[in-house]
Amino acid sequence: MNLVRSELLKIRTTSTWWWLGIGALLSIALAFVFNAWVVNETLSGNGESLGVTGEQATPAAQAANLYTSGQYLGLMFVMLIGILMVTNEFFHQTATTTFLATPRRTSVILGKLVAASLLGFAFWLVTTVIDLAAGALFLSLNDHGTLLGEWTVHRALLFNLLAYAIWTVLGVGIGTLITNQLGAVITAAVLYLIGTQVVGLLFLLLANWLDTMSVIKWQVIWPAAASQIMISGGESEMTPAWWVGALVLVGYALLSGVAGVLITRRRDIS
Amino acid sequence: MSDGQRSPTRDGQIVVSGLTKVYRNVRAVDNLSFTVEPGRVTGFLGPNGAGKTTTLRMLLNLVTPTAGEATVGGRRYADLTDPLRHVGAVLEASSAHKGRTGLNHLRVICAAAGLPKRRADEALALVGLTPAAKRKFKGYSLGMKQRLGIAAAMLGDPRVLILDEPANGLDPEGIRWMRGFLKSLAQQGRTVLVSSHLLSEMQLLADDVVIIAAGQLVRQGPVDQVIGSMAQGVRVRVRTPQADVLTAALKAESVTVATDEHGTLLIGGVDAPTVGRAALTAGVELHELTTERPDLERVFLELTAGKADIR
Repeated sequence: MNLVRSELLKIRTTSTWWWLGIGALLSIALAFVFNAWVVNETLSGNGESLGVTGEQATPAAQAANLYTSGQYLGLMFVMLIGILMVTNEFFHQTATTTFLATPRRTSVILGKLVAASLLGFAFWLVTTVIDLAAGALFLSLNDHGTLLGEWTVHRALLFNLLAYAIWTVLGVGIGTLITNQLGAVITAAVLYLIGTQVVGLLFLLLANWLDTMSVIKWQVIWPAAASQIMISGGESEMTPAWWVGALVLVGYALLSGVAGVLITRRRDIS
Repeated sequence: MSDGQRSPTRDGQIVVSGLTKVYRNVRAVDNLSFTVEPGRVTGFLGPNGAGKTTTLRMLLNLVTPTAGEATVGGRRYADLTDPLRHVGAVLEASSAHKGRTGLNHLRVICAAAGLPKRRADEALALVGLTPAAKRKFKGYSLGMKQRLGIAAAMLGDPRVLILDEPANGLDPEGIRWMRGFLKSLAQQGRTVLVSSHLLSEMQLLADDVVIIAAGQLVRQGPVDQVIGSMAQGVRVRVRTPQADVLTAALKAESVTVATDEHGTLLIGGVDAPTVGRAALTAGVELHELTTERPDLERVFLELTAGKADIR
């Protein structure tokens, strides 16, 4: 498809993806070192002191965590790429050129969404290959075995892929809603990094006030929380089932995609 | 063919009919209708804020009209299959990603329009930008940016060219190049619509003009006809120390005589030889005797006088 090719070429011919890629690599490195330390502590029986207990303390869950190192910031970086794919058009006034070449604006946005998902996939692939190589090496060297046969590990990797694709799409949606580049990037990054903590705190306060922990489940309406719930799996009193998280996330992606198409169709480009 | 029937739209003809755009309370474009013919350069003129850019953007489906329609070769821009193969447009000079090279900018457009990659190289060569192909856009001068915009418009080898203020930021050499380039395109039978407020340049370049003010059509037609249609035709400019004597001598002829702030006479309704003969007969000493033809600028200013207010 021509439009997807054009969108991927747009990304390849600027240095943006390069910087975000470096950011993602750095966050992998940092997260991997931290997660490796947690694995070692937990599997040598010190999990309690780190607050890692129950299902999370099993070797499989720990391996899954290690093999998805760097996804927390990685998801933010792919979201930022999605945002930049749209806001760049307005920041550099290339929207005119883009819509002259393709007056069917729905196709343009769909092209961006497909290109964004492909890019999310590429980021996931690179992240996962690095994590698998480093993780398997680390686990074997510490006599835990690679644990690559575990379903928990497989499912974490697969859902991580879904998360990468969805967050890039979400980024495109945000970009169409907030076309101001700086505004969109800052809003999204702040909401992702700080908003998640604030939402968690609010729900904790709400749970205290209502005197029921089950209300914490509703954190899932916040995309970043939904993403965590989807990837980590494991239902409890405070976390809903993984598929609730998946549904919420897919819902946000669809909503922002449709909103993006509708807004872009009506917008005057001047 | 009956009188009321309109001639069928020709290939490459631009037809604007009843085009209107209302922004909040401002009628930026107000029931505007005109046609642009292939094989000619048409100047689209109007004071700042007259609605030129909005009109062009409506023609290109970038801005949605409040009412009316604009077509190229009988079809709306949005309905064209492969629009870049029909219409090339240069709207603003600064429209490329600053970190992307000129060549890559064109390749991105080729990819989106399904044009072969080599068209990017060919278009760069056409505007003489090949040496700067691998340079990033932020390092381009204004003139180079304009040339890149034209290269982008030429990628699909279109029949119709639409340019919004293409001379902005060009040096005299660049302006002369642009003039020759656009004229040659029109000679090849293409339609060329150029908006501008550089009237002297337009007089050299355009075959036809469409003049708008306050969003409305003021005059349309071939440049010569539009200039000739003005009441104030040819004037004769005379400097003489004996203005009174000459004025009296010319009374016999049906002339209009005006005096400017330097005491120079501006005489209408008569040609220079007649004035010279009258002066000789009356023994009047002349310091200057010049024929002043009305130019596009004078006509434009008279036509749009009082309509250029900020709205």
